[in-house]
Amino acid sequence: MAMPADKLRARVTRTMFLGFVIAAYCFLLLPLVIVVLASFNAGELLTFPPQGFSLRWYSHFFNSAPFITSLYFSLRLSAVAMVVSTLLGTAAALYVVRFAGKWRDVLRLLIVAPLLLPEVLSAVALLFFFYSIGLRKTVGALVVGHVLITLPFVFLAVSSVLYNFDVSLEEAARSLGANKFRTFRRITLPIIKPGVISGGLLAFIVSFDLFAVSLLLKGIGVATLPIQLFDYVTWDFDPTAAAVSTVSIAMTLIMVLLIEKLVGLRSLRF
Amino acid sequence: MATPNQVAWQRPTIGSHAGHRARAWLRANAALLLVSPTLIFLSCFLVVPYVNMLVMSFRNPSTTSVFAPGYTIGNYTKALTDPFYLGVLAKTIAFGAVTTLVCMLIGYPVAYHLARTRARFKGLLYVCILSPLLVGVVVRCYGWIILLANNGLINNTVKQMGLAPHGLPLMYNAFGVGVGLVHVFLPFMILPILSAIQSIDPALEEAARSLGASRIGTILRVVIPLSLPGIQAGSILVFVLTISAYVIPVLLGALKFKIMATLVIQLLIDAFLWPFGAALAFILSASGAAVVYLFIRVTGPLMKGLA
Amino acid sequence: MTTLTISGLTKRYGELVAVDDLSLEIAEGELVSLLGPSGCGKTTTLRSIAGFVEPDAGAILFDGVDVTTLAPERRDIGMVFQNYALFPHMTVRKNLGFGLEMRRIGKQQMAERIAKVLDIVQLTGLEDRYPRQLSGGQQQRVALARGLVIEPRVLLLDEPLANLDAKLREEMRFFIRSLQKGVGITTVYVTHDQAEAMVISDRIVVMFDGRVRQVGSATEIYLHPASREVADFIGLSNFIEGRIKERTEEGRYTVETPLGDVWCRSALALPVGDPATVVVRPESIKLTRSPPNNSELNCIAGKVRDRVYLGNIAGYRVVCADGSVIQVQEQPWHVSAVGDEVHCVFESDLAWIICE
Repeated sequence: MAMPADKLRARVTRTMFLGFVIAAYCFLLLPLVIVVLASFNAGELLTFPPQGFSLRWYSHFFNSAPFITSLYFSLRLSAVAMVVSTLLGTAAALYVVRFAGKWRDVLRLLIVAPLLLPEVLSAVALLFFFYSIGLRKTVGALVVGHVLITLPFVFLAVSSVLYNFDVSLEEAARSLGANKFRTFRRITLPIIKPGVISGGLLAFIVSFDLFAVSLLLKGIGVATLPIQLFDYVTWDFDPTAAAVSTVSIAMTLIMVLLIEKLVGLRSLRF
Repeated sequence: MATPNQVAWQRPTIGSHAGHRARAWLRANAALLLVSPTLIFLSCFLVVPYVNMLVMSFRNPSTTSVFAPGYTIGNYTKALTDPFYLGVLAKTIAFGAVTTLVCMLIGYPVAYHLARTRARFKGLLYVCILSPLLVGVVVRCYGWIILLANNGLINNTVKQMGLAPHGLPLMYNAFGVGVGLVHVFLPFMILPILSAIQSIDPALEEAARSLGASRIGTILRVVIPLSLPGIQAGSILVFVLTISAYVIPVLLGALKFKIMATLVIQLLIDAFLWPFGAALAFILSASGAAVVYLFIRVTGPLMKGLA
Repeated sequence: MTTLTISGLTKRYGELVAVDDLSLEIAEGELVSLLGPSGCGKTTTLRSIAGFVEPDAGAILFDGVDVTTLAPERRDIGMVFQNYALFPHMTVRKNLGFGLEMRRIGKQQMAERIAKVLDIVQLTGLEDRYPRQLSGGQQQRVALARGLVIEPRVLLLDEPLANLDAKLREEMRFFIRSLQKGVGITTVYVTHDQAEAMVISDRIVVMFDGRVRQVGSATEIYLHPASREVADFIGLSNFIEGRIKERTEEGRYTVETPLGDVWCRSALALPVGDPATVVVRPESIKLTRSPPNNSELNCIAGKVRDRVYLGNIAGYRVVCADGSVIQVQEQPWHVSAVGDEVHCVFESDLAWIICE
């Protein structure tokens, strides 16, 4: 029996809509999938069909001194940036959510400002600033740049956990005899810890992938992984870059899954 | 035991009131310790550098050093009267507008679907949208290079299949840059719209349908108007990010492709024309801000009645 | 065993006066309910006793000692919150042990007291569960146990049953009542549910707009309400306006009304000629076909306008000669049809004069 006309139309529209959405997701993931596939390709250039499975590009990567140095440099730099911005951002979030009163919105805007301003612009401003105080091209300048961009992420992650925090839990603790410090240590801190850790992880990933800031503030002969990758991609065309990229993607995915486990990605609001 | 009448008393006299005030001041100030490191950090490394950059844009240029002594508005007049720079600015703004529009058209359906779907892998879809954001712009561009380059995946396939023997010009031009921009900034459009649609009560859509509106009609007349704040936020975000994008135009457009951010960096790093570069950067920001302001003014009245 | 005294408590939030010069004495072991609609100031009062709200004026005394300036953690109170506020990152055992830890109770004694209180609330065996693994009713009992295990001087409950479904709420009312009586702790209970207040309390404090309107037992408040507001808030009422005609004896009056003379009672000495409102509860009225032989009973004639059958009662609306409507609740097997001419009969003891 044939379907009535508008049920059919509805079905067709619905299928088209779903098809469009699926295509959009494919579009979002396509380059990443391609990069991962390319990294395992046995051939030199990427052709279709692929020429076989191989790990040679990974061994290229791990044997390449510039890549490995830049990888370690990035890891160390991002770790330092993560620690600094987590400390600053958590403290700032605690203040803004609990104590700020009428200054809350102004402070919030100020702390989140580096996110709203173009990264390139902030990087340029820092470049001029460090030149004028004679600290150009030092690792310290690089750390400052990374902290500036990652601080808002920690702030947003921790303040979102704090906003959702049930104040009656603290009141219950106080009614049971705990003073403000003990309440904070035993009740508040353990409950916001996942938010703090997520903020830190987010800071790490963001810092690891920063480009413009690293480019403008780095010293001679020093490179972060994205910059090394950028140089390589601009001049060379072999899939070692794909191997490097895949390692980067894998790291990101692990962090994202950890954050999902801790606080759930949906709670992050930018 | 004291009766209420004997015990009732008002708030204490001035002496202990001052003590009370002092304690409160101390409490509030102790909390300030929490935020002061961040405030000092931001003042030093955000406010001061931006002000310094503004000052830099008024300095005299120099060929021997990054800048010469003295101040001038020459940098601004040069940038605003030279057709080359105006052209680059216009191109940048145009790119911003087109990218924003394309992201809106692709992003809205995706956001609507994710907001209303009841599939069990909803979390996975969220990861799919969020992960590209966090992967890093160089990696994402590299993926597109593999796909779009003249000897990249698409062209190799097309050539092999005999569809276009000389290949398609997909990269090192506006198309390649456009694809890269849309891809990188699409999540920034999706997330605010998603948030806006999620805050719309599904019962509103059901009410519209019960009154006779089709699915599409409901979306056009109920959902979209109510999600305008999300569309507005997403558009502003994508526009601002696009006009200041650096890596994507460089990797996917190469040196012939001039867009404002790449030009500014070039002037700073290659040519050491710091004052002029700073002026261009501010002109870009001001133009962007002007466009955003106009956009808000135009879309503001459309959102009357929404919180 | 602690007595609780509230004296002249006042709290303002900007222009709004949340609590207005409230004074109350609560005896040891007494359970007093603060009853009223939302915004009447009952929760603010409770939180002032707890120490989370700093009053603008007035004092709170535990056993005659002023605790108004003491921080909540130093007042030795037990508090049960509306949403339970169980620490999500701690097991039931740790939740219960938290207050004991703050009091530096030794491990041995802590274990004993926790076991004992779990037995009282009938949750033995759930010590190692986390709050999210418990049902709403179980969480509520853990919250109760946490407030009791520390053996506080005063127990404060802020609408603890509001989030439970109707049946469970009714069961828990009796449970809390017997628990409190068994332990004998001075308790203040905040609720907007009048049935709950009536079941649970030794005395009820009815509050409107930050002021106390009446304090008394459930019977006193129900049968002898102090004002129209109180009468309206608790159960259904019929109000008959009139003028005091004469005073027949101590506490008994005749009130002249458009519906005839009504014999009623009041606790106050009222001057003849003053306006008076008589309140009669619907269940106090019987419907008869003919006027009663007994001249001591009040009788108002009317016609049945509506009848509803609710299973446990039959409700009637009777229209009287001057157009006013009297609500009557009869036994469910009583049948008067719509349109019947009836007489509303009620004893003078059940007609109460409200003075405003």
